[in-house]
Amino acid sequence: MEEKNKSIGKAVNRIDGILKITGKATYATDYPAKNMAYAVLFKSTIASGTITNIDVSEAEKSQGVLAVITHKNAPKLNLKGGLRGGALLQSPEVYFYGQHIGVVVAETFEQATHAAHLVKVEYQKKEEKIDFDKLAPLAVLPQGKELADLIRGDAKGSIKEAAVKVEETYETPIEHHHPMEPHSTVAVWEGENVVLYNGSQVINGAQTSAAATLNLKPEQVRIISPYIGGGFGSKGGQWANLVLTAVAAKIVNRPVKLALTRQQMFNSVGLRQRNKQKISLGATIDGKLISLAHETTTHTAVDSEYIEPCGDCSKIMYETPNSLISYRVVPMNIILPTYTRGPGKSTGSFALESAMDELAYKLNMDPIELRLKNQPEKDPSNGKPWSSRKVIECLKEGAKAFGWEKRKSKPGENKIGNHLIGYGVACGTYPARQRDSSAVIKLNRSGNVVNAIVEIAASDLGTGTNTILAQTAADGLGLSMERITVKIGDSNLPPAAGSVGSVGAASFANAVNDACIKITNELLVKSNKKFFVRPTASQLMISENINDFETRADAKPPKEAEQHSAHSFNANFAEVSVNVYTGMAKVTRFLAVTGAGKILNPKTARSQIIGGNIWGIGMALSEESIIDPRWGNFATRSFGDYHVPTNFDIGKLDAMFINEEDKIPNKMGIKGIGEVGIVGVAAAIANAVFNATGKRIRTLPITPDKLI
Amino acid sequence: MRPFKFTNTTTSYAAINLLDKNPNASFLAGGTNLLDLMKEDVERPDELIDITRLDLTSISSITTGTNSRGVSIGGLGKNTDAANHQLIRKNYPLLTKAILAGASAQIRNMATNGGNLLQRTRCSYFYDTAMPCNKRMPGTGCGAMDGFNRMHAIFGWSDNCVAVYPSDMAVALSALNASINVMQQDGKIRSIAINDFHRLPETHPEKDNVLNRGELITSIELPKNNFAAHAAYVKVRDRNSYAFALVSVAAGLVLDGNKIVSAHISMGGVAHKPWQALKAEAILKGKTATLTNFRLAAEAEMSEAKPLSHNKFKVGLGINTIISALEMALKGTDFKA
Repeated sequence: MEEKNKSIGKAVNRIDGILKITGKATYATDYPAKNMAYAVLFKSTIASGTITNIDVSEAEKSQGVLAVITHKNAPKLNLKGGLRGGALLQSPEVYFYGQHIGVVVAETFEQATHAAHLVKVEYQKKEEKIDFDKLAPLAVLPQGKELADLIRGDAKGSIKEAAVKVEETYETPIEHHHPMEPHSTVAVWEGENVVLYNGSQVINGAQTSAAATLNLKPEQVRIISPYIGGGFGSKGGQWANLVLTAVAAKIVNRPVKLALTRQQMFNSVGLRQRNKQKISLGATIDGKLISLAHETTTHTAVDSEYIEPCGDCSKIMYETPNSLISYRVVPMNIILPTYTRGPGKSTGSFALESAMDELAYKLNMDPIELRLKNQPEKDPSNGKPWSSRKVIECLKEGAKAFGWEKRKSKPGENKIGNHLIGYGVACGTYPARQRDSSAVIKLNRSGNVVNAIVEIAASDLGTGTNTILAQTAADGLGLSMERITVKIGDSNLPPAAGSVGSVGAASFANAVNDACIKITNELLVKSNKKFFVRPTASQLMISENINDFETRADAKPPKEAEQHSAHSFNANFAEVSVNVYTGMAKVTRFLAVTGAGKILNPKTARSQIIGGNIWGIGMALSEESIIDPRWGNFATRSFGDYHVPTNFDIGKLDAMFINEEDKIPNKMGIKGIGEVGIVGVAAAIANAVFNATGKRIRTLPITPDKLI
Repeated sequence: MRPFKFTNTTTSYAAINLLDKNPNASFLAGGTNLLDLMKEDVERPDELIDITRLDLTSISSITTGTNSRGVSIGGLGKNTDAANHQLIRKNYPLLTKAILAGASAQIRNMATNGGNLLQRTRCSYFYDTAMPCNKRMPGTGCGAMDGFNRMHAIFGWSDNCVAVYPSDMAVALSALNASINVMQQDGKIRSIAINDFHRLPETHPEKDNVLNRGELITSIELPKNNFAAHAAYVKVRDRNSYAFALVSVAAGLVLDGNKIVSAHISMGGVAHKPWQALKAEAILKGKTATLTNFRLAAEAEMSEAKPLSHNKFKVGLGINTIISALEMALKGTDFKA
């Protein structure tokens, strides 16, 4: 196929864009079902203890109520079925404030909501563990083996010899995912089988965990999720609400719809935990790192462990002979933390890249120069060669495009009216991985027109999976994109990885690409002819007069990927303006330069990156959730208190990609861009704030009170 | 949301009589606050009397009475319309700026001027029915006093309540010395000065203002002033739009050359009502308009602040914000009508 006719690499529009803006794309709660009933969850108002009495009599009598389900009458579920966060109504025990303690099912949503207010609960309270500042000194080594202390050389000893040192602790608060579409499910039983319409980042994972929890076989559960209104990790693993909808539907013997309210989203579907990260950097007088320690203290749930790997960036970003990465964790009466955009890397890079900026300042060195000086030849954590690493290009080309030379090296010197202007830079990284996925391609010919259907249980968070798979299939089959129908988001389709950990594009597209290669090969065999130039599948369908043909490919990551260290890298440039009176900071310009292998669609890729940047701006300047340690509740309980950025908070955003050919991580050379867009953003902004004001803020978010 | 009866009416007097018949009824205007609070189970009326059909939306010049040559704004006019009306933009740009600093365009399109005055606090302990709150449930205590009180009061709070009143519009009205016209139970109109309209919490934080049960806000009267060319509204918040004030300041300067004839300063985000900076106003009267005098006045005003555990920053921020607003007012209103 001629290059100019190819779809991959072109900034094509989303194939589902019109469906979305006209409201025709069907999200979980859009599925109609006859005789639908509505479920509403109610939640605990203590953080730790036992329910001694739960009086549902008034709720049951309330108009329209069909059932009230609590631990007293819920069916037995498998708590180890793979759902996250417990709260499955299996016992009277309460482990965190806002744990689900029951479900009301009624004829209407309003009736169910009203009845939920009528339930009276009595508790025997136990002492809660919720004050992280007090509990942090009690933190211990995590159970997870991958979080054991990682020691190279002697970081603690060698720093004593360092000419210049930075030893500081950086803190990040609890953050929430808050996708635009709250978690919601429609459950429809068909005999002993159940169909669950539910936004799911991992279709097959949702299927197996729901089935196991419900004590069913996987084939008895079907997940349908063609569109997802965002997830950011919170729809990666599934939570109790998915299965409780199925339970409610079974009990009332009708289809049931359950949608979490925005308030319930704060303590139902995981969160990003608080972290205290101590960074110790030691360097020679000319800026060579000799020691890097990254020690994270964090919290998890009382009954389950999840820790975001804050030290990951520090493992691989810089050359140093002595390194220590460690984690300590304390259980708390709070919902299980979970994967949250750029897990570990977004928060870890805030600590590491702020510290690098502090080091550069102490060395009186440009922060870009310091980074260029400490680039590792190989992955310092395991000695493997890089599949590719474009940090230097990201920094150099970014500096040029951003106008870095205009930065004043001394803080507080760039003032326009009542505003201080500052520039900051920070790098980021995220692993590039392909995971096992299968795809089926079905070709159909009518005269000289060939159409293709692509089937794969992939998911589209709104990032553009549908579109890149249509592009991949179009190029792989020799068709235009209009001839491709993409079917994803259904567990009846061939199994696939999920849209998690930046594996989606590489896993899904390679499966579709493999299927295209395979179907072409099979058609060639079928033709029993030799061709001078390899024909496309489309051409073969026509030349061989084949009406219908299909095949399936089961794609796996290439073996050589394991012998290399494969990651996306970026450099972020921020310009901030800080009002000297009010302390309000605004990111007036932001540039992210990313080396992420093959960019399938520059348009959707740009959206991914600037979306990550906006999250990062929220992380840097405004997002923070506060727990009242007396009760364990969130004092920030609505969008009035928890401040995600508004349009007005966002200045000029630019995304640039470094051209990178790297076929080691996978055949198509895709590294993934879902996570890397947020990594390094908060540090670039905090560094810009320092450059503007001379104030080094080590505790996010950087709200006005910290800058006056 | 609890079940409720929905009633509508077309005259103010009929509305008042309907409310009088049911002690658990509430008026419904824009509903941008009341309906939220009903969904949260904080407000629990069993009847809503829809007053949106009442003829109380006009904006017009006042030709008689104490506020003659001023402007009257209907109690049921929309915030958006008040902010953008030519009479307001030309004569009271401070009010336009304050209204536009509040909420979002969508909310301002729904919210009424009278409803804005009756907004309840955004204190999260007030909103969360599992928490103690003397304002929501008298006698249960104040959750914020020893809790997360970063957003809360530094002036005029009591042991019973440390909540702040969230309106931006009312802060400008306070500096503009507006009065609120209210129809009483007997159908007669009484006038309440804006700075007497909202209460401090004292022992009754459940009462936000001095309205008697059954009274209806019919209009807001803005007296004529001569600081339209020198006014500013500065709102400090955690993001640039759609957030409540940490501190806000409405300022107007009546100048004679470089001399301050009178200063009009009110603060938001610091008390249970718009906080008139009377000390600062007194200090500035007759002084020259300099940064030094602005700072003296601001520091004097904030010297008696009583911050809570999480909002000590509001004292310094208050000083800065007063100075900033006065500096902007002195420069001239950055606004074309």
